[in-house]
Amino acid sequence: MANVVKTMLAVGACKASRSALRIMHRGGTTTPGRLAMKIDSNILESVSRGMEIIVVTGTNGKTTTSNMIGHALSEAGRDVLANRSGANLLPGVTAEFTSSATATGRPRKHYAVIECDEGALKQVVPKIHPKVIVVTNLFRDQLDRYGEVMHTLEEIRKGIRLVPDAILCLNADDSLTASLALGVPNPVTWFGIDCPVGEQKNVEISDARYCIRCGTEYEYDYHTYAHLGGFRCPKCGYRRIRPAVAVTEIEKVSSSGSIIRMRFGTDGNADRAESADGAGAVAAASAETEQEVTIGLPAVYNIYNGAAAIAAYQAAGFDRSEVISSLADVHSSFGRMETFRLGEVPVQMILVKNPAGCNQALSYLSGLGEDYQAVFCLNDRTADGHDISWIWDADFEKVCGDPHMKHTFVLGDRADDMQLRLKYAGADEKDIEKADGNAELIEKLKQSSVPVFVLPNYTSMLSLRAALGAITGKQEFWKG
Amino acid sequence: MSELKICHLYPEVLNLYGDRGNIRCMQKRLEWRGIDVSIARVGLGDSEDLSRYDLFFIGGGQDFEQEVLLKDLKAGKGDAIRSAIEDGKTFLCICGGYQMLGHYYETYDGVKCEFLGAVDFYTKGGSTRMIDNYAFRLEESCGGSTVVGFENHSGRTYLGQGVKPLGTVLKGYGNNGEDGTEGVHYRNVFGSYSHGPVLPKNPEFCDFLLKTALERKYGGFDLEPLEDRFEKQAHDSVLAGVMDGTAGKDD
Ligand SMILES: [Zn+2]
Repeated sequence: MANVVKTMLAVGACKASRSALRIMHRGGTTTPGRLAMKIDSNILESVSRGMEIIVVTGTNGKTTTSNMIGHALSEAGRDVLANRSGANLLPGVTAEFTSSATATGRPRKHYAVIECDEGALKQVVPKIHPKVIVVTNLFRDQLDRYGEVMHTLEEIRKGIRLVPDAILCLNADDSLTASLALGVPNPVTWFGIDCPVGEQKNVEISDARYCIRCGTEYEYDYHTYAHLGGFRCPKCGYRRIRPAVAVTEIEKVSSSGSIIRMRFGTDGNADRAESADGAGAVAAASAETEQEVTIGLPAVYNIYNGAAAIAAYQAAGFDRSEVISSLADVHSSFGRMETFRLGEVPVQMILVKNPAGCNQALSYLSGLGEDYQAVFCLNDRTADGHDISWIWDADFEKVCGDPHMKHTFVLGDRADDMQLRLKYAGADEKDIEKADGNAELIEKLKQSSVPVFVLPNYTSMLSLRAALGAITGKQEFWKG
Repeated sequence: MSELKICHLYPEVLNLYGDRGNIRCMQKRLEWRGIDVSIARVGLGDSEDLSRYDLFFIGGGQDFEQEVLLKDLKAGKGDAIRSAIEDGKTFLCICGGYQMLGHYYETYDGVKCEFLGAVDFYTKGGSTRMIDNYAFRLEESCGGSTVVGFENHSGRTYLGQGVKPLGTVLKGYGNNGEDGTEGVHYRNVFGSYSHGPVLPKNPEFCDFLLKTALERKYGGFDLEPLEDRFEKQAHDSVLAGVMDGTAGKDD
């Protein structure tokens, strides 16, 4: 009895503090959850009991992949719980589940898609017992928060060890992510891209060049981006596994989305190394189907996100065709690739927070073949990571050397560092302009005669999005 | 026509924290002055003759990959690096690359890794990381300018008797968070915990390194001054934030 009372109190406190924070116009994603956990330490277990849950983690693409899965489930008529941007640590996840529960702490919804911070996975998954855990990829990110990428990998592994029944849905092309399948009892399913993407020469691999098992340098059959691709270790045999959900060809990529060909079959077997002539692959191929898929978001990394969403969707036991048809009109998620209109000027915002994601965004811009202005916003607050040195690892040269790039603005706590980076990337000093705050930037962008692309990091995205939203009438995120 | 040959050592393993920015900075500042520059990447298993280079850069790396590196150093490159140092070649070594020049690294659990021993210092792993924007003043023998950067290390470095630091900490941790020293300066070797990357925002330090290498090669050498407006803005804004404690704070 006492437990039920505690649960009810926790639910009540969480809901009350959440509405109070909303009235005060604060995003308030952690306080209500902390409050609920303080009253009832088992609250998250209670309010998620019996639900079917998909958890998405990894460095890049968590939000977009979760949105793709959530969108498909809703389109198919299921009532889905999802956590919104920023609420991906234990208190935020707790608040989402708790405030959606009944007064007695029972879940109202049966399905949930939760994006989870890599470091918080080990706290979250033992409480919510997910059916599927998706790991999108691993790159260096926010070095001062996690130390290094190997440390992040270990954090995820700790989380997985706590839920041996959860199905792992892993990126086959990422040697770091793929290693999560080694030595765990969990069932595993894979997604990936079978074909080369972009430049194949002089690919600089900085995150995972050496075999995670034996230290030998990987050989690659092809590259997709950063350290992702057809990797194999010439010494110990650790290699990419042929995935059940794979992109076989990229037919068309434009600013409104991509058209790709995909094959669906069974996963290659890691223990029975496939022979060089592909005997294993031939056996699997008999059960394979191929299909054209449209993804309504531009850039190659969204192709990975789409493949991850499809693989997770079918691993959770849903009909693959539902997610495939909904991918064509998936909404761009909060700040990740969102378009605003300032009068006649289209302004597209692409969140960038590490070199791999930033390089993808920069390739997207330099590949447009049309004139544009670029805005780079750089803050160095806690949620961004205080260390902004990664800007020197991203190829701003691509955009600074692009004749279609007409002008660039810099903004944020570290605008001076950004402006210096652009100078060394080859931009002319007179083409670089520092804006003093969001309002001034917006006034200047209104004058633009060409489309504008804004590449902000996390907290600068929050403030600029709020300012743009106020003018263009888009809702602030916690109201959406 | 003067020329500087830069050797980027172990770029494939020691490449954390924007190290590319240091190489790019040196390259651009030479090119803008009409000095030829070539950059060679010399990595694991390469048996290049190191004596043909004028300036060496070694960056920081991940622990996992440092084992691969120690093997390669033992296989011959370690000796070549030691002779280049004694020969007066210029070295800029950051974080892991800096630690590598000392006698050893003793982890927090007491495991000792033997390093190059090219310069008299050692490093001990600590239980906490020393992470933040920081600032230090270079010794007069290193140009005397003020450097701003970002440090992120759990290793505490202790210099041997009579070994000079690179500078004195103004704000932050530096070598060990105890004695106020930052980095090391031995012959023409400059070691630092400042990744940042350190050079773009500290053009005087960059030019000091370039001048040191050019003078070693050509005798007296004058570097013409550059228009450093953006460099100075970035340097000054970070320095102000570091000194008044507002850098990286949430409002
Ligand atoms: Zn191997």
